[in-house]
Amino acid sequence: MEYVNPEGLRVDGRRPMEMRQIRAEIGAVSKADGSAIFEMGNTKVIAAVYGPREVQNRSQQMSDQALVRCEYSMANFSTGDRMRKPKGDRRSTEISLVIRQTMEACILTHLMPRSQIDIYVQVLQADGGTRSACINAATLALADAGIPMRDLVTSCSAGYLNSTPLLDLNYVEDSAGGPDVTVGILPKLDKVTLLQMDSKLPVDILENVMQLATEGCKAIANYIREILLENTKQLEYRRGS
Amino acid sequence: MVGLSLGEQFFIQGGIAQDLRCDGRKRLSYRPIYVQTGVIPQANGSAKVRIGDTEVIASVKAELGKPSLMQPDKGKVSIHIDCSSTAEPAFEGRGADWLSADLSNALQRCLLGAKSGAGAGIDCSSLVVVQGKICWDLYIDGLVVSSDGNLLDALGAAIKAALSNTGIPKVQIAAGASSDEKPEVEVSDEEFLQFDTSGVPVIVTLTKVGKHYIVDATSEEESQMSSAVSISINRQGYICGVTKRGGMGLDPSVILDMVSVAKLVSEQLINKLDSEIASAEAEDES
Repeated sequence: MEYVNPEGLRVDGRRPMEMRQIRAEIGAVSKADGSAIFEMGNTKVIAAVYGPREVQNRSQQMSDQALVRCEYSMANFSTGDRMRKPKGDRRSTEISLVIRQTMEACILTHLMPRSQIDIYVQVLQADGGTRSACINAATLALADAGIPMRDLVTSCSAGYLNSTPLLDLNYVEDSAGGPDVTVGILPKLDKVTLLQMDSKLPVDILENVMQLATEGCKAIANYIREILLENTKQLEYRRGS
Repeated sequence: MVGLSLGEQFFIQGGIAQDLRCDGRKRLSYRPIYVQTGVIPQANGSAKVRIGDTEVIASVKAELGKPSLMQPDKGKVSIHIDCSSTAEPAFEGRGADWLSADLSNALQRCLLGAKSGAGAGIDCSSLVVVQGKICWDLYIDGLVVSSDGNLLDALGAAIKAALSNTGIPKVQIAAGASSDEKPEVEVSDEEFLQFDTSGVPVIVTLTKVGKHYIVDATSEEESQMSSAVSISINRQGYICGVTKRGGMGLDPSVILDMVSVAKLVSEQLINKLDSEIASAEAEDES
């Protein structure tokens, strides 16, 4: 199948280096300490953060740092074909772990010893790049909860199809069988905290694809910063100072 | 879980006794209701309903299937509810299974009627394509995103809104197929049939706190309840289902009184919901 046509357009009409439209909203779950919705094209996820709070399971308590936990779940209606999947299948356990490790790397856990932070991400619509969208949503939710972080973590995926590096794969491109590189970075510190790739790719091209994904992450970071700034301004306005 | 001090508990109970609740409402008034339709593009119909801080999403997916042998002239409808752990940390892992099952069963009882399909709020016979051979199976999925009490009413409203947002594709049956084999069908992707939702009931949950009962309880108020009765009522004023959940026993006369109160409340709720759904649909189309 042709994923990039001769005019240089992809299946959904984007250019190879173009990202899908992103949209973010803070404060979707009012009962949570922090929450956010993040959309990348048709992919839509919601994240909620509870904590820092008392550790629920005493045996997991750590005296020198906070315990970070994460649960990823997909809604029944999130995919094209309806399916019933029990919570905690292998794929969601793996993604939960990936998100947990990525967020743990940026949270200043040593400032909150003997406490626990729960991150819950729920996929409402899946159209490729759920992993990245979840990490971006989790970052926003953590920031909304006021949890101290080294930097924002942002994530974006990139692939390589028809000898062209493509930014931000959708479901059709993701299931094409080509490589899918998911990168998570700390944009200000310029450090990579997450890197995952499946399928095979020549070494010199990996550099290009990774570079592209990193650029995507930086663009998302700019957007997230704007949203946070806007939110803070609103909070300030409501406080009346 | 809601952790309330003794003082807070008395405050809630005292407020309800004096017909002035913590958020300024009267005993029989709802929190503001917002409806948004078409939130899940992949589904045939979907809606998001927000009542106060409670937020739920319902989606309807239609798939072609075979009617059951017992009821060859009816389509199948199933309701499944999930509670997202975003709503409450206690829902993590398998923590919400009992609540999901409880809500799914209550909704099934309230909306789908008896096992025979009699008295269902959803007209299952309109889902048949070829009698005994092909019918539409409706899968109704609900998701609790944020929970602040009164989940059942919110889910009932969301399902009603999602059903009125649902378009079922028109089906053409290929001519010339013999009667005993499975007929060939062609599903149109342009023409859709709207679903008749005028008969879909709304659910009113009356929560008894002390001597009085209230509608649309928040989770703080629910923690103080002695018992709760959910009554589903349609536009004609008929009762489509009654569920008593949890708590202590009730005097039969109190239940009858609750039913008549619920009937009064449901009229306002139906009108409010219908106007919200209509404006959401208008916004969705524009």
